[in-house]
Formats: sequence, structure tokens, C-alpha cells
Amino acid sequence: MAQPLAFVLDVPETPGDQGQEPSPYDESEVHDSFHQLIQEQSRWVAEEGLELQQREPGAPGSGHETLLGPEGAPVHSTATLRILASMPSRTIGRSRGAIISQYYNRTVRLRRRSSRPLLGDVVTRSARPSIRLYDLELDPAAQEVEEKRNLLVRELQGLSPAQRDHMLRGMPLSLAEKRGLREKSQTPRGRRRGQPGRGGLFSCCSRLRYACVLALHRLGLALLSGLHALTPWRYALKRIGGQFGSSVLSYFLFLKTLVAFNALLLLPLLAFVVGVQAAFPPDPGPGPRPACTGLELLTGAGCFTHTVMYYGYYSNATLNQPCGHPLEGGQCRPRAGGLPYNMPLAYLFTVGVAFFITCITLVYSMAHAFGESYRVGSTSGVHAITVFCSWDYKVTQRRASRLQHDNIRTRLKELLAEWQLRQSTRSVFGRLQQVAVLGLVWLLCLGTVLGCAAAVHAFSELMLQDPVAAGQEVALLALPLVVCLLNLGVPYLYRCLAALEPHDSPVLEVYVAVCRNLVLKMVTLGVLCYHWLGRRVGALQDQCWEDFVGQELYRFVVLDFLFMLLDTLFGELVWRVISEKKTKTRRKPEFDIARNVLELIYGQTLTWLGVLFSPLLPAVQIVKLLLLFQVKKTSLLANCQAPRRPWLASHMSTVFLSLLCFPSFLGAAVFLCCAVWQVKPSSMCGPFRSLDTMYGAGTAWVHHLEAAGPRLSWLPWVHRHLVENTFFIFLLSALLLAVIYFNIQVVRGQRKVICLLKEQISHVSAHLPPLGTHLGDSSSAHLLARPQPPPPLCGLGC
Amino acid sequence: MGQCLRYQMHWEDLEEYQALTFLTRNEILCIHDTFLKLCPPGKYYKEATLTMDQVSSLPALRVNPFRDRICRVFSHNDVFSFEDVLGMASVFSEQACPSLKIEYAFRIYDFNENGFIDEEDLQRIALRLLNTDDVSEDLLMDLTKHVLSESDLDNDNMLSFSEFEHAMAKSPDFMNSFRIHFWGC
Repeated sequence: MAQPLAFVLDVPETPGDQGQEPSPYDESEVHDSFHQLIQEQSRWVAEEGLELQQREPGAPGSGHETLLGPEGAPVHSTATLRILASMPSRTIGRSRGAIISQYYNRTVRLRRRSSRPLLGDVVTRSARPSIRLYDLELDPAAQEVEEKRNLLVRELQGLSPAQRDHMLRGMPLSLAEKRGLREKSQTPRGRRRGQPGRGGLFSCCSRLRYACVLALHRLGLALLSGLHALTPWRYALKRIGGQFGSSVLSYFLFLKTLVAFNALLLLPLLAFVVGVQAAFPPDPGPGPRPACTGLELLTGAGCFTHTVMYYGYYSNATLNQPCGHPLEGGQCRPRAGGLPYNMPLAYLFTVGVAFFITCITLVYSMAHAFGESYRVGSTSGVHAITVFCSWDYKVTQRRASRLQHDNIRTRLKELLAEWQLRQSTRSVFGRLQQVAVLGLVWLLCLGTVLGCAAAVHAFSELMLQDPVAAGQEVALLALPLVVCLLNLGVPYLYRCLAALEPHDSPVLEVYVAVCRNLVLKMVTLGVLCYHWLGRRVGALQDQCWEDFVGQELYRFVVLDFLFMLLDTLFGELVWRVISEKKTKTRRKPEFDIARNVLELIYGQTLTWLGVLFSPLLPAVQIVKLLLLFQVKKTSLLANCQAPRRPWLASHMSTVFLSLLCFPSFLGAAVFLCCAVWQVKPSSMCGPFRSLDTMYGAGTAWVHHLEAAGPRLSWLPWVHRHLVENTFFIFLLSALLLAVIYFNIQVVRGQRKVICLLKEQISHVSAHLPPLGTHLGDSSSAHLLARPQPPPPLCGLGC
Repeated sequence: MGQCLRYQMHWEDLEEYQALTFLTRNEILCIHDTFLKLCPPGKYYKEATLTMDQVSSLPALRVNPFRDRICRVFSHNDVFSFEDVLGMASVFSEQACPSLKIEYAFRIYDFNENGFIDEEDLQRIALRLLNTDDVSEDLLMDLTKHVLSESDLDNDNMLSFSEFEHAMAKSPDFMNSFRIHFWGC
């Protein structure tokens, strides 16, 4: 409910104004739209003043200038128009645009409104410059521009240098003006420091000093540019963004993020596990070491088997203490000058801590991306956003800009068509038909997924039946090959099925495709995990099953990379060559962002699954990602064009990160927990060979600490009551759910407040004209200006 | 003074520019290089000016449909000094704050410079975006109507700065799309 505006104004008498100092209310200063109105009305007043005054019923007093135009719309007096012209919502845009770009050294006449941008900026740190700069000033004796400037300078002097610079950077003034303000507001002491030295000797010294500093600076810049040249991605990313836009760029940025995550995972492992074990290699086992053929790079077996690469190499003893098993309670004297290093414990803790750090980083970046890309009420207003935000200013190539124009045209037409479709109601039969077709397609897709899962399961059982002989290691590649072929072929089938579907919204279409592909990949991985942890462990009882699982995952990673290369080659290069030769349109294939991103997520899931069994797998993944970047970039620039479907680039990185977190990382974490807590480690290799579960190393250490003495008794206490007690975990989950519920309610409340405020604004603006007629009444001219700024609502609607 | 030489900028000037703009040192020096290549020989870089045509034909702005408005908003007296170019690059850089970008976006989109984005401005924006004269009047009218119904809160058929700011603050795409890299290095 809008309240009637209660503010009062000091209205200067109309005839008295003229002849004073040049005022912003003069013709060329007042708002253009009102300028025309003023001219028209002064003409009407001259022509039909008497007749119109008789129309006004019971109007008191003389000099009443409220008139009604011929259409019956309220016509305002010049004074009213002046007041309306001075309202913040009418003058802010113009004052900024007119004055800041034509600031005082440009125009002869000093305008009063030029003071507006200077003051409010400094004092309040509100994020809304329109409200900050509100200044209802109608007093004709206002200070001049120079005085306002001095006020601003004085206020800037009160801030610290960093704050002052921050404030100046955000001001929409030209650089020359900012420099002037900065110079004036620098403290005298600082200025004195910069003064040139007196006497010939000093000037020579200072010149020498400047020369030295400049030379050093040039050297620093050369080094910096050299460093920039070393990061080869910066220029490539800029080129991709300029040629293809933000949506394709988001794929490459995601790739970069994955490299960072893998590096984060690799560093602790290198430092605490791989490096230490490489420094203290265990005794080589009996039998000759297999010779290195080239096949190891594909299979991961052969001469890679007994190296730091796999779980089986790591010792289960305390390094640097070459006597007895420490967990048996035997006393050992450490080697002179050495530090005992409990390998099983280090292995378990490092993997656990690395996963924990990855989890925290992933959740934090996901929350950050969500915060940046979703706003309350952002689902409405899509037309405005398309008009103002759809042109990507980064694009610099002519062909890309032509494509952007096409995209925008398509998008606008689709938007308007969607709107019309929403207006028109569909018949019940049509809707039923639509639902039936959708249901059928989804059933087919899910059926395909189940079929693939069954096929993978059957094939893995087959591989289990006949074990692979030592010389025929190529047969080990069969299972990864089958899975990769399924992952390659089934998405094309999905694309064909999706063509049958009725699609209203192209964005929804893409998300549905992503969802289906994701389900396929996750179900396949789930079947494989069951196969490894459930069946393989049983089949390889007297061998090192962890090594085998690690090698399997290595094979999957490598074959996945090879198939991605093949896909790029055939999907992009050959397609382009064919389409150029055969078809006349010379249309290049589109860069399919969704499919490529899902493949990256799949590869990363494989890495996370395999870290426990192959600590160097993140390094393999990093090499693979770096190679993939170069290959994809080259293929993109040579063969592809940007996707025709417009993507909302900001939402995409959020979607990618959340897909990386939820099915992918969560699944890997569950697999890790199962492997650590449930499965019995093999008894002849690895750091946990004599324990019942891998976690047993941790509990054994806690028992050891308990026996050690009362000083460290808090650690076993923590272990017993917080880690092993499930109540604590329930408590944490309940707390998390409460926080989520609270946030949901806050967002809901904010939405409601926004709706109410919008209603209030439109009510206020609808009630304005009757108020305007009262303002023209000169008999009620003893109205005083309100000194403090009115609430923001009035600032918008008045 | 003399020929336009590389690294002629003084240390203090560089520090000042870095403090007053959102650009890094490397970026400022790259823009300086680009500026020197275009400015007439024999002039000190602080006194040289570029015409609007020269700036419009920079690789970063060449294909931009709003390049004439950008040049108009950032130039003074229809020419660009070095500091004008820096100011422009600062507003379009990645580190610029949203309020500054929204402010200048409003000025760029206000074609008739009356302090508001009214229907005429919206239609001109739409025509520039579509880059074709073969657009039906209905499409333009429809689009203008939709934009105003979504963003015009006080029902005056124009977007004031506050309404524009509110609409852009809701959209995270704005910051992403309102970025230009001016430097070639």
C-alpha cells in the first residue's frame, strides 16, 4: 500500500527566478522531455489562460497555474515541472551523463548539478550510486562547483591512501579529473617527498636514482613478460574467447580448473608417500623383473608393476627403522640420524587428507560459483537481459561477430515465440500426446542404460572367468575398450532419440541431454566399481588385487584419452573435410560443449577412483589434460564453429562444478570409504598387508598412542567419541540441514520483499500526477525542503 | 620529448595510473605501446590524441556494434587522449567493479543522451544487435514492450539509471559480457 508522499518543497516564485545566476532550470538544462512540455504549456497559457482557469472548480487564490490540457491529462506549471525535473530519478542519469562527460573545464557556465557526483560518493559506501548521489537541492544559493570539489578533496584526505585510491577508481570520472583530485587530496608530507631536490647535486642524484629505478623496472617487466610467455594458456584463451565467445571458453577454463584440482591432489601424495618410498626402496621381490616393452604405456602392467606407481610397491613397515614390525610392540632403535616414518599410516592419512582438501576446495568453489551466477529473481527479466547482456564484447573476429548476430536473432525470435506459446493454450489431447512421447523417449533412454550396464557386467564376468596369461597382456585392454565404445556410441543414439521429442525450450533440451549422458556414465562406473571391489577381490585372493585395480584404472584413463583423440579426429576434422567437399554450405561442425565437459568429468572421476591404488595417477591425468588442451584448441581453431544454441556462460561453470562435485566426487568418496573400511587388503603386498581393513592401521596407531601415556590421551578420546561414534555424524548432518533450510527461507523472504517493493513503486508512480497539481499552487509555497534524504523508494518514484 | 619511444612513461606516472585504474602494470604498458604505434610521430604521448575513427578501428572495437557509442562516451571533444584510452580500458577490464561498468553501460546504451533509456533507444539497440534492416516493426515493438514490462518499475515507459542498475545487478551475465581486452600482448 503506497502512502501519500509527505515531503514538502521550497518552491521559488516563478517570476523572481529569472534574472538571477544561470540556473540549471534554464531551458537548456532542464530535462529534454519537460522542455518541450514547458514550451507547449507556456504557449497554451498565453492563448487560452482565461478559458482554462474557469474550468478549475473551486480553485482558491490567484496565480493558480494548474491547467488541464485539451485531452484532460494534467498539465503542470513551469514550477512543478522544474521540481519534477529536479527529482533524483529524472536527473541522475542526465546529470551524470551530461556533466561528467562535459565537466567543468568544458562548459563556460557552471552548473549546479555538477556537484552531484562528487559528494555522496565518499561518505556512504552504499552499492547503489543513484541513492548515494541523491541530493535534493533547490536552494538557489548553493555552493559552486569549486567549493564542492574542495569538500570532496577534504573528505578524501580523511581516508587512508588505499581507501582513497579504491574510491577514486570506482568513480565514473575521466582519468585527468581523478588525477587532479588525487593530487589535491594527497597529504602535504607526501607531496613534499615528491618535490624535486634543490641544488645541482641533488638533481643529479635524483636523476640517477630515477634512472636506476626505471632500469630495474624494465628488467622486472621483461621477466614478467617472460613468465607470461611461459604460461601458454593466457594468449590461447584470449584467442578462443575472441573467436568463439564465452561459452566455448568456459570449457577450456573448466579444463584449467581440473588441472589445478589434480595438482592439489598430487602434491601431498608426492611429498609424503611417493617421495619417501622412492628414497627408501624396498627389497626387490623374487624372480626377474619383466622387460619394458612399449605396451606398458597402454596397459600399465609389465615393467610398471613393481614401481612407485602402484600400491603394491609400498612397504608396510616403518621406514628408517630396519627391525621388526613396530605394531607388534617390539622395541626398535632407529637408525642413527634418521627419523622413523610409519608408511601405512602416512599412506592412509595422506590419501584421506588429500581427499578432504579436494572436497573442501570443490564445495567452496561450487558455492562461490553459485553465489555469482544465481540471483534472487533472476529468472524473470530474460528479455531485458537478452537485450543488454547478450552481446559478448570480448568477440573481436568478424566471422564470430556475424555468428553472434545470428545467435541473438535466433534467441530473440525464440523468446518471443516462447512467450506467444505460453499465451496460447494447448488442447488436452495435444498435451497428453506430448507427455506420452516424452515418457516413451525417457523409457528408451533408461532402457539403453540398463542394457549397457548388463553388457558391462556380463563382459566383466567373462573376463573374470579366464585369467590372462603373462604374455597376453593386450587382452587386458578388452574391458576398457568395450566401456569406451559404449560411452562413445550411446550419446549419438541419445541425440537421435532426442530428435523425436517435442522441444519447447532449447536450453532445457541441452540440460536433458547432459542428464542422460551423465546417468549412463555413472551407472557404468557403478557396475565397474562393484566388479572391482566385489568380484575381483574374491578372484585374486592370493595375488595383489590392489595392483590389478590400479592398473585397470590406469588403462581406463589412457584409453579414455585415446578415444577422445579419435573422437576429435573423426567428429571434427573428418566431418569438416567431408562437409566442405560434399555440401555446398561449408558449414563447420559445432563444438559440442556438453559432451566434451562430460568426458572431462568422467576422466576426473576415474582419477579419483584410482588414487588409493595408484598414487601417481593424478600425474598421468595432468599430462593427459595438458595434451588434451593443445589438441582440442588446435582442432577448435581449425575445424569448428561456435555452437548455434546460445548458452548462458555464467550458469555453465556453476553447472559443471556442481556436476563435478555431486555425482563424480561423491561417488569416488563412497568408493574410497568402501575400500578403506570394508574390504580386506591383500596379504602379500602393499602397506596394509597384515591388517583386516586399511583403516586398521589408524586404529592400531590409536591403540599405540593409548598405551604410550596420558599426555596424548585426548587423541584416542577424539577418535573414540567423534570418529567412531555415529552420533556425532548425525549431529553434523542435522546442523547442515538446518543451515540449508534457513537459507531457503531467507531467499523466499527476499523474493517476497522484492515483490512488495515493486508493487509499492508502481503504486507511488501511479499516484504522482495528482500530487503534481498541488505543487503548482503558489499559495501553498511555504513548504520546506526535507534536509535528510528520503527513503530509497521515494528516490525512485518521485 | 621527441619521437614516440618505448617505455617513455615515467615511473610515477605508471604508479599513478595503476592506482587510479583497474589495470595492471603490464596492461598499462601494453596499451601505451599500442597508443604509441598509432599516434603521430614526433609527439609526446601525453599530448598526442587519436581520432574517434582511429579508436573505432582498433581490433578490439572493430566488430562491436556499439563502437560509435563507446567512442562517444569515452572521448573528450571528439578525440582520445592517452588517458581517455586508459579510462576506457579500465572500465572494460576484468577487475572493474560492477557499479562502474553499469554506469558506463547506461551511458553507452542511452543513444539520444537524455539520461534515460527510452523506447527509441531500445529499438536502436535491438537494430544494432540484429545487424539487419530486415526486421519487422512488430518484433521491435514486442521486444520493447517486454523489456519495459520487465524492468520499468515506475511505469514511465523509460528506464532510469536505477531501474537499469537493478535489472543488470540481477544478471550475472552482464559482468561476463561487458569486458574487452584492449591490449595486444
